[in-house]
Amino acid sequence: MVEPSDELKISKDRSECDGCDTQCACNATHDLSPPDTNLTTGPEISNDADRRNFLKQATTITLGALSLTVLPWSRDNDDGKNVGGGSATPIVYGFLVDTEKCIGAGKCLTACRVENDVPEGYSRTWVERYIHYKDGRVEVDRVPESGYHAAGLVDIDSELIDRSYFVPKLCNHCEDAPCNQVCPVHASFTSPEGVELIDTDSCIGCAYCVQACPYGVRFVNPNTNSADKCTWCYHRITQNEKPACVEACPVDARVFGRLDDPESELNRRLAKVPHHVLREHLGTHPKLHYIGLSGEVN
Amino acid sequence: MSATRHLQILALLLLLGGGAALQLRNMLVPATFGEIGTYRAAALGTNAAHPLTFPSDARCLKCHEDVQEERVESLHTVVRCVHCHGFGAEHITQATAVEVDSSVTIASAQDWDHHFPTKVDLFITYDRATCLACHQATVGMPDSFLQINVAEHLEDQGAEDVEDVNVCFECHTGHSPGL
Amino acid sequence: MDAAEFIYPNDPHVAWSIMIVLYPYITGLVAGAFVVSSLYHVFDQQVLKPVARLALVTALCFCMFATLPLLLHLHHPERAFNIMITPNATSAMAGFGFIYSFYMLLLVIEVWLVFRPDIVERVNTNHGIRRWVYLVLSLGVPRITEQSLKIDRRLIRILAVVGIPAACVLHGYVGFLFGAVKANPWWSTALMPVIFLISAVLSGIAVLLALYVFICWRHQVAPEIECLRTLVRYLWIALITAFSLEALELIHMGYEAGSEWHILRTLLTEKLAVSYVLVQVIVGSLVPLVLLSVAVIAKPSRRMTVWIACIAAVLILVQVFAMRWNVVIGGQLFSKSFRGFVEYRISWFGREGILAAAVVLMLPFIALYGANRVLPISTADDH
Repeated sequence: MVEPSDELKISKDRSECDGCDTQCACNATHDLSPPDTNLTTGPEISNDADRRNFLKQATTITLGALSLTVLPWSRDNDDGKNVGGGSATPIVYGFLVDTEKCIGAGKCLTACRVENDVPEGYSRTWVERYIHYKDGRVEVDRVPESGYHAAGLVDIDSELIDRSYFVPKLCNHCEDAPCNQVCPVHASFTSPEGVELIDTDSCIGCAYCVQACPYGVRFVNPNTNSADKCTWCYHRITQNEKPACVEACPVDARVFGRLDDPESELNRRLAKVPHHVLREHLGTHPKLHYIGLSGEVN
Repeated sequence: MSATRHLQILALLLLLGGGAALQLRNMLVPATFGEIGTYRAAALGTNAAHPLTFPSDARCLKCHEDVQEERVESLHTVVRCVHCHGFGAEHITQATAVEVDSSVTIASAQDWDHHFPTKVDLFITYDRATCLACHQATVGMPDSFLQINVAEHLEDQGAEDVEDVNVCFECHTGHSPGL
Repeated sequence: MDAAEFIYPNDPHVAWSIMIVLYPYITGLVAGAFVVSSLYHVFDQQVLKPVARLALVTALCFCMFATLPLLLHLHHPERAFNIMITPNATSAMAGFGFIYSFYMLLLVIEVWLVFRPDIVERVNTNHGIRRWVYLVLSLGVPRITEQSLKIDRRLIRILAVVGIPAACVLHGYVGFLFGAVKANPWWSTALMPVIFLISAVLSGIAVLLALYVFICWRHQVAPEIECLRTLVRYLWIALITAFSLEALELIHMGYEAGSEWHILRTLLTEKLAVSYVLVQVIVGSLVPLVLLSVAVIAKPSRRMTVWIACIAAVLILVQVFAMRWNVVIGGQLFSKSFRGFVEYRISWFGREGILAAAVVLMLPFIALYGANRVLPISTADDH
């Protein structure tokens, strides 16, 4: 249980952070420049946080009344949010996929599977191929993990095609993540860096998060019996390494970096061109951005 | 005898049961829960503790620094070692062992050949499949990317043996492909 | 749309199985049966006296096993209590532990109060171990007075009143659990909790009707015809309401024809052609609607009424199961790409197989049989 004084202490430590212990994992970021106040995501965060706090308090009171018990840490919850994603030193990681660059080689797929021990038959990331035929049909398939060439697939007659492109998919690490909202036991949570993580030692394996994710990136791992999904390679980024799929991309179609650092490659590339998120209408506020996203993609 | 005796006992049982349940629950809250946010803070460590498998170029260049010189000016500067050579997990293990004990031998690249496309170990080095994994013209690729239609390309270049798996390397080197 | 099928790579693994179909089915029966018992205890529907006790104990017996399908489904059942140790206030599922516990407690206390006179009587008429069992059940107070009975009756009434919203919350929240998943266009509707609630009442009345007729037949006594007619009338009203709401939801979805309607239309007309169109709509709703309308309007003979009530009740029980199936499984048969379908394959054996599901469904009835051996539940004994 965290006393209020401890909370303050944590916040303070955070603002003076010069590379603290691995648990808070801010060592990945202390070498980066202080946050700019003119961030695109800045005001949204505070508004969302307010709304979330209100909702959480409202629900807590309701539940508390029903359940003979008032959750003792519900207040810590709101303060806790501020430690990572709130006022003091917001660390906001983001991810960019440039569909205009992706060549569908599938290097990222093997990299992710090996790096994260993803069991066969499940995927933390995949690459879709959209083919717009001249007759108006739109066909979608998935890049084989060995790439089209090694898979021995016969290529499609390009005479029949208007345009075609690849769309890599992975966890969107939503600002308002439905998976976190529905997880009954706080096993789905947002790290102080804004990365959506899973506590595989608390997860009860109910799969509600699998249902709640609009992007289909979650699954119940048959080896751990816990929910599983892309973590943006949390174990790598906390050691100043890029996520495996980013490292594996031969054409820089995947970019990982800080959204709150205007000098980051991520922001420099986002600044130049229009970009979108997937299923914006669902209000999940993904931190995964797409360049060159066609309307067909969902 | 009070008419509510049975209800008093019931209320007592409920009170005891409820108290015990609350106490039990408080005891069962995991150790680091709520320390940072509303979750078990130790889970951050668990997530961060996952071993790194994907080798960075820096690890490869520790021994193969000459390769960096070859490719520094070429179109393949953005290509990572692993793209063509695989993760090389076993290879790196052997190389790391050599650093400590020089009597250990490293298996030669040929020993790993024909394992293509294994996922964690070295790929075959001279095989056009290595090149075509990216460059084979495929529907979906952006026009800006250098796409090869193998049959046409080999005919244009007057290749002698179009079936030769090593044919690409007659004109190109992987580290500095040139055009 | 003529696009070839494309599904997301994780979607072939249907995450919620038949156990998640059973769970709302069972809690629905609990809520429905409880509402009937409350009609007697709160609204003083004396005509329902023959089934009042049965309704209450049926609710308890089903409630006892409501968590079983969930435990069978959980990939980490040993961590089940995490939902009460570290509950997430924004998760509908986390509410389950508390709502369920509260409701179960309420049911146990109400049943205990209702049967206290019988328990006390049995303490005094039994010997040895049986006496001790009943003595423990009486909480060591094997005495009844006029005044204590009066207090108990008032308490029962209060519990029955509190129990109605509790039952609604218990089941309405199950509907909310699905209805609030914005990722799934087949689930995401504010009508979902209401539809679940009404169909819960529907299934509860149906199971009581079937049980009542069955028990009377076993004891070779004629069912109280007025009680039966009342139940039939409630069943008819519940069916009309449930069916109208479900139709409204579907018509609304189809008329709005949002971006995902194309996949839902294919889902209903092809993938769920049997379980939705045939079982849920035609056999499970329209046929009983006609049967019950005849029973209510034409007032047929006693024998005829019993037959009609029984057939309609069984069909409705099948219909409500099909409805749960079509929601839970149906909602997972299309990929979230909205470009293709997956298949749900159910095995006979295993934790989430057909046999396990059959056992889960049987257990409440076995418990009911056992309870009937200990306490006078079936009304036939009263005669």
